[in-house]
Amino acid sequence: MRIKVDRARCTGCKLCQQICTIEHYGEINPKKAAIRIGAEFPEPGVFTPRLCVQCGACARACPEGAIERAGSANAFVIDPSKCTNCGVCVETCPIGVMYVHADAPTPIKCDLCLKCTEVCNTGALTVADPPPRATSR
Amino acid sequence: MVIYLRSGGRLRERLRPDVDQYTRRVEVGGSPTLREILSAMDIPLALVAFGFSDGKVRRLDYRPGDGEVITLQPPVAGG
Amino acid sequence: MYGFGGTIVRINLETGEIRRSPTPESFAREWLGARGFVAKTIYDEVPRDADPLGPENLFIVAPGVLTGSFAPCGSKLGFGCVSPLTNGHADSNMGGHLGPEIKYAGYDMIVFERISPKPVYLFIDDDTIEIRPAGQYWGMGSLDLETRMKKDLGEDFQIATIGPAGENGVGFACITHDFGRQAGRCGVGAVMGSKRVKAIAVRGTKSLPVHDLPGLTKHTYDIIQRTKPHPNMEPWQKYGTALFVSWANEHGCFPSRNFQTTYHEGWEGISGEKLAEEVLVTHKACFGCWMNCGKYSRARIPGKPDTYLEGPEYETIALCGGSCGMTDIHHVAYANYLCDNLGLDTMSGGNIVGFAMECYEKGIVTKKDLEGHELRWGNIDDFEHFVGMIAARRGIGEVFAHGTREAARKLGKGTITFAEQAKGMEFSGYDTRWYSAQLLSYCTSDIGAHHNRSWAITADIELGQDTPVGKAPVVIYLQHIRPLFDTWCCCRLFWGELDVTPEEHTDAIRYLTGWDMTIEESMRVSEKIWNLTRAHYLERNGGPGRKHDVAPLRQLEEAIPNGPAEGKKVGSENFEYMLSDYYANRGWDAEGNPTREVLETLGLPHVADNLEKRGLLGRPIPGGIPKVRGQKLKPKAM
Repeated sequence: MRIKVDRARCTGCKLCQQICTIEHYGEINPKKAAIRIGAEFPEPGVFTPRLCVQCGACARACPEGAIERAGSANAFVIDPSKCTNCGVCVETCPIGVMYVHADAPTPIKCDLCLKCTEVCNTGALTVADPPPRATSR
Repeated sequence: MVIYLRSGGRLRERLRPDVDQYTRRVEVGGSPTLREILSAMDIPLALVAFGFSDGKVRRLDYRPGDGEVITLQPPVAGG
Repeated sequence: MYGFGGTIVRINLETGEIRRSPTPESFAREWLGARGFVAKTIYDEVPRDADPLGPENLFIVAPGVLTGSFAPCGSKLGFGCVSPLTNGHADSNMGGHLGPEIKYAGYDMIVFERISPKPVYLFIDDDTIEIRPAGQYWGMGSLDLETRMKKDLGEDFQIATIGPAGENGVGFACITHDFGRQAGRCGVGAVMGSKRVKAIAVRGTKSLPVHDLPGLTKHTYDIIQRTKPHPNMEPWQKYGTALFVSWANEHGCFPSRNFQTTYHEGWEGISGEKLAEEVLVTHKACFGCWMNCGKYSRARIPGKPDTYLEGPEYETIALCGGSCGMTDIHHVAYANYLCDNLGLDTMSGGNIVGFAMECYEKGIVTKKDLEGHELRWGNIDDFEHFVGMIAARRGIGEVFAHGTREAARKLGKGTITFAEQAKGMEFSGYDTRWYSAQLLSYCTSDIGAHHNRSWAITADIELGQDTPVGKAPVVIYLQHIRPLFDTWCCCRLFWGELDVTPEEHTDAIRYLTGWDMTIEESMRVSEKIWNLTRAHYLERNGGPGRKHDVAPLRQLEEAIPNGPAEGKKVGSENFEYMLSDYYANRGWDAEGNPTREVLETLGLPHVADNLEKRGLLGRPIPGGIPKVRGQKLKPKAM
């Protein structure tokens, strides 16, 4: 299972970011969301949702073994009891979607809770089966 | 043939949905235009800006096909 | 306090002093935010003889209670001051993403006082507030500056800017944000510019305090799922407000050539469908909105560079398009871009250019006045040159830079008879000769002719277009509905188009703040604001009110010459009837002045005292004021 991003459909509404922080932190605070929306304006005038694609590079890089597949979605999830917030995972992430936030116990990444796909009304974020892929990028 | 008309807002009250909260099933004879269908239902044409189906605007002289589902877009639904 | 940022900021631009104080909960509850905060503060603090472009005017920026809160489209931000166009209350709100950012930084109202000696911009990064030099930005276009500041400060910052028009004090200058959302009306951009504030840049990273987040989340989540399949969602997502162009032409309210007529030959070339086919690049949404009515576009005109802009939406199509004689959506989009970058309201701007085009047609404005250029209907090059003159207040541009009423005063020659404005602010995109409730709405509006104060077109359809009867109570009801959205500061389109009720919004407020908010309480705030800004207008401009609630002659007496509304006009007698009916239903006297009884009922006895001191208080109404002011429209029986 994965979140499929169709960037042509993203309108920059940030509903996904609101529901993400509500779900994970019990807060309304888009800047703590695991999904970031790139915006290229004035030209070409497009939005690009960016979030973890569950490639596992962070898990392989973590010196504490704090990142493993877990939960019903089998996403790569950071265990706060093992994480030291060293930031190696953030540097390693090949698409730069992990980040450290002063108020979060661990770096922030998507855990495939899928709430964003439930609120998105344009089809920019939908649930899809993962395509066949190599284990490393 | 049968067509389905859908709308929200004040127009919905005039449409009197019977399929779901928005949708009214309408049996029509021949191949009438939207204008003719709405007039026969006593829906004031001034309260319909256009029809909308299959992602396209349908002006009131459009002739729906059998089974077609057409949204009626009011000028403003509430107000 | 839940639901609010928590702090009010006052900035003295003369001394550089920045004062913060906690937002009083009583103030927040009484006025709800944005339009309410602005109305109260302007009334209380700005001297009645203050020059709108002078140091005593205040420039206020305020989100509302629902801004940033995961309520449906909690995106809006209010701006207010005294208007240079009308010399009355100025109130304009804007979508986009700046309102939520201000709440996340912790603020509920920012008040700019006095005038900065040098160009500056406001920089807010959570608790850091700075007045920074903006000399390097002065003179830049609005859109150009936002592009630059996103690079200079970072993508995380939300930016609002004025263009050269605001810097130069053009009366209808606007404020632009997010590459194409505006606080457009009333000349709020001119007041910001008069204070030498070129831009506002905000980053907020705090969490909004919420009383019952699970409750609020479920409430809005359920509304999202319910409205996704709503029949009108898809047309709105696809066309935005431009979907109204066809209806307006087919039903005779679309302004063509300065409102000379109301069916625009070639309107199909500037319709919502044409927009989607020809210029659309991306659907764009305000914060927290899932109907994404914003249309981000690219205009392509041979010989000109491609330009990107958000729009054109209905009003711009009506006023820069129809009213200026255009029939090509690329031209309208380009005109939109020109106005946005110069910092001109496309609505007043389009109306004023159309008015000038009629002046040119009649030989009142000449090629010599236009620096050798012309001002032909539908000509985009003429449009471009002329708006440049206005923004710079150069030559004849100066005559038109303060609205059509002022232009008509300067030009004479009967030009006032075709200036479509009320109280000095231009009509928005609706000709009202077959829509008398809408004319009443325009002419009783507190800020001048703006449909957003109450949109009454379908009320005219339901009540009968050819009668003045029954219009006034419905207009009053609508005039109390709209401020709900302007004070809560969320978009009205979920209510207007997708059957989300006002009660669902007050439910959201309850979850957010813990207040036992009801729709009755909120509507009372609306009526209170309405009377307060009426009193403010009278105190600044003298009375009686009836003297100011004046309709343009074309709308009253010049019958529409052709099209679906051929022969229609409102008629002075009908207009006077509606005005009298309006005042009676408002609890105002026959001269249009608020009475002590209605003001005290609304908790405004000091306003009654102020009016009385100035000889402006309405005479008591025998038998008392109506128990309920305003009446919801009941659909005609089938």
